[in-house]
Amino acid sequence: MKLTTVFSTAIAAAISASAALADGFPERPINLIAPFNAGGGTDLLLRGLAPHFAEAIGANAFVSNMAGGSGTVAASALQGQRPDGYQLAYMSITVSTIQPQIKDVPYGLDSWTPICSVAASPTLLFVSNDSPFQTAEDVVAAVKAEPGKYVYGSSGPGAMTHLTTVAAFAGLGILDDLKHLPFQGSGPAIKELTAGNIQFFGDTEVLMQRGDFRPLMVFNSQRLENYPDVPTATEVGIEAPLNELYLWGGLFAPAGLEPEVTAKLEAACETAVASEGFQTFAENSGTVINYRGAEEFDAFYRAQYESNGALIEAAGL
Amino acid sequence: MLSALPDAIAILLSFEGLLVLVLGTVLGIVLGAMPGIGSTVAVAIVLPFTLTMSQAPAIILLLAVYAGSVYGGSIAAILINTPGTPQSAATCLDGYPMAQRGDAGLALGWATVASVVGGLVSAVVLIFAAPQLAAFALQFGPIETFALILLGMTCIVSVSTGSVVKGLMAGMIGIFLSTVGGDPILGEMRFTFGNWQLFAGFNLLAVVIGVFALSEVFIRASASVNKVSELVAFNGVVLPSWQMWKGRFGNLAKSVAIGNVIGVLPGTGAATAAFISYAEGRRSSPNRDGFGKGEPDGIVSSEAANNAVTGGALVPTMALGIPGDAITAVMLATLTLHGITPGPRLVDDNPTLIAAIFAGFFVINLLLLPLGMLLSRVAAPILRVREAFMMTAIVILCAVGIYFVRGNPFDLLVMGGAGFVGFLLRRQGVPMAPLVIGMVLGPTLELTLRQGLILTDGSFVAFFTGHPIALVLAIAAVLALSLPLLRALLARRAS
Repeated sequence: MKLTTVFSTAIAAAISASAALADGFPERPINLIAPFNAGGGTDLLLRGLAPHFAEAIGANAFVSNMAGGSGTVAASALQGQRPDGYQLAYMSITVSTIQPQIKDVPYGLDSWTPICSVAASPTLLFVSNDSPFQTAEDVVAAVKAEPGKYVYGSSGPGAMTHLTTVAAFAGLGILDDLKHLPFQGSGPAIKELTAGNIQFFGDTEVLMQRGDFRPLMVFNSQRLENYPDVPTATEVGIEAPLNELYLWGGLFAPAGLEPEVTAKLEAACETAVASEGFQTFAENSGTVINYRGAEEFDAFYRAQYESNGALIEAAGL
Repeated sequence: MLSALPDAIAILLSFEGLLVLVLGTVLGIVLGAMPGIGSTVAVAIVLPFTLTMSQAPAIILLLAVYAGSVYGGSIAAILINTPGTPQSAATCLDGYPMAQRGDAGLALGWATVASVVGGLVSAVVLIFAAPQLAAFALQFGPIETFALILLGMTCIVSVSTGSVVKGLMAGMIGIFLSTVGGDPILGEMRFTFGNWQLFAGFNLLAVVIGVFALSEVFIRASASVNKVSELVAFNGVVLPSWQMWKGRFGNLAKSVAIGNVIGVLPGTGAATAAFISYAEGRRSSPNRDGFGKGEPDGIVSSEAANNAVTGGALVPTMALGIPGDAITAVMLATLTLHGITPGPRLVDDNPTLIAAIFAGFFVINLLLLPLGMLLSRVAAPILRVREAFMMTAIVILCAVGIYFVRGNPFDLLVMGGAGFVGFLLRRQGVPMAPLVIGMVLGPTLELTLRQGLILTDGSFVAFFTGHPIALVLAIAAVLALSLPLLRALLARRAS
């Protein structure tokens, strides 16, 4: 056999093997990585999605948790992996667009193949139900009268909860007159809001409903169905890009995933998100479903990466 | 809620109810006894199974695994000096010396009875006083928590066997290790040297397993290869007789109370409770002179407290919808998945479910006694293998457990490093318990101190002038440190 024949045979074999790889995908279970602890919002959502995703893709899919560093440990670990489609991470706005801009992490804008977005919940600024503040104007007046007295909480520096309060108070022009008290997770912060040690907190509708809290504004393009009397951030005078904030998240694979595999995962994601089971789950858990396909999600993710720079600057991170 | 009790009991007595009660407790004990698999991992393992269950059995399964694993952690702590979970690290201090003395069965007996009593009392407290205790938890802001942790830190002195200076040094090492990773207030990275693996800091479980279990293996390996096996003789649990409990009830009651109170406070946890209770026992127990040498009161202090935490932790979780730790957070998530909104209205909206959960929790703690005795009898023959095999098995179990927790190979390096450093330090007579205390309490101490300083605009004095609870706790901390010194001084003057 001539050498060229050997080569061409080998190359042909390799090509058909890789085609077969995409054809046969998936051949083994798919690992869905939650970059946070079991039991958190991200973990919960992913566990709700996993069985429907598995059914749609025709293979097992299991959720694993790799917590730490506000989600950056899992993302950093995944970016170095082979892009074979067997390892996907559910990454939020903060893990994928905020953390890489404020920390020296080994990943950035171009480290990922976005597969699909799953959810996007607008955040709200809220106070305890016995708070004297009824409107944003009340807050501005009170804070201006006594600068340095009032405290807003967050679930950690650079977290979505932090960005929400920063967007609200920077947009109202009173950020420097308030104190920031970070906690480790939303649970302890919500406890202090109930107890009165902090006066303001910002999170999604689901989290807000866990306690006796009252929303002051919502960072959405329009008013929420459940709270028709609560104004949007734009209505209280907060200007773009601080007026809309969504805790969004979706599945990401490492950069360089084969288009055929991406297409299969994207299709499975779409079927799973549309499935009756996941829709029920979303209803129960208050998840606002927001599906985007791979191409659209890629463009959205890149636009968000750029525009969140303004928030990061306002937060002083 | 009490009127819903008959319906709740019917749920528990159903086939599914009984099955999850027994299987969950067994699974919890086994997983808890495996070095490296802590309560959080044990609960995460069974989480997927709960998705297909109905509401009450799902939560009861998680509770059974939780309570079982806290008890199971003591088995490995006593028999092989390897705390299965960080909260049983304090159990090692007296459990293992007692086992080495030949009383392994009795040591486990003390641990079993203490765990059951701690758990049962916390279940009763949960059923009857949850709303009141939840209101109490709200009184504990960052400043009060800081003072409590400060008091907890004083137990570094009391668990320092041998030299107090070496103990303090170990405590400082522990606190330093806990500062690696993200700054809790500013978010900046500290001591990571640009290595993203360190962004999350050192894994507590990896360090605990390293300094306790792996260093023990190294010490045995270095002692003598051909020595005849000195493994503990063990034939199953021996329950302490009524006579032996004489003079120990006060310590038991105090330990249960400490576990309950600390469990109610979000963000503290079972390891903190076990150490604080152990330190209190060492200070006030009539048998305090024997602590650290195999004193039953030491085992009782630690085990009664860490099991009492399980009920306490459910108080803010169920009454307020605020999870105290990762495990109760998983439970709230499970409730949400079953279409129930956790929060202040949870108990009023779902009386039958909550009654079933609370009654189930009581039954789980009753089951710990027979199931614990049965399982340890099954485990007994495993201990009769040759030491070399046993040590190898411990290393493998630890490695598998640690890798399993976060799926991060870096944690194995941390465990190995901690084992080697622990080996060197122990050879120099540096005790390891203070190191673990430093690592467990360090992050909360730092966070609450800095939160408090933000609230008081940088005034440390204001911590105590405006916060009576904090003032009382701080005075207790100062007394805990100075009383032994004063006592020694007085004794010297008398002689």
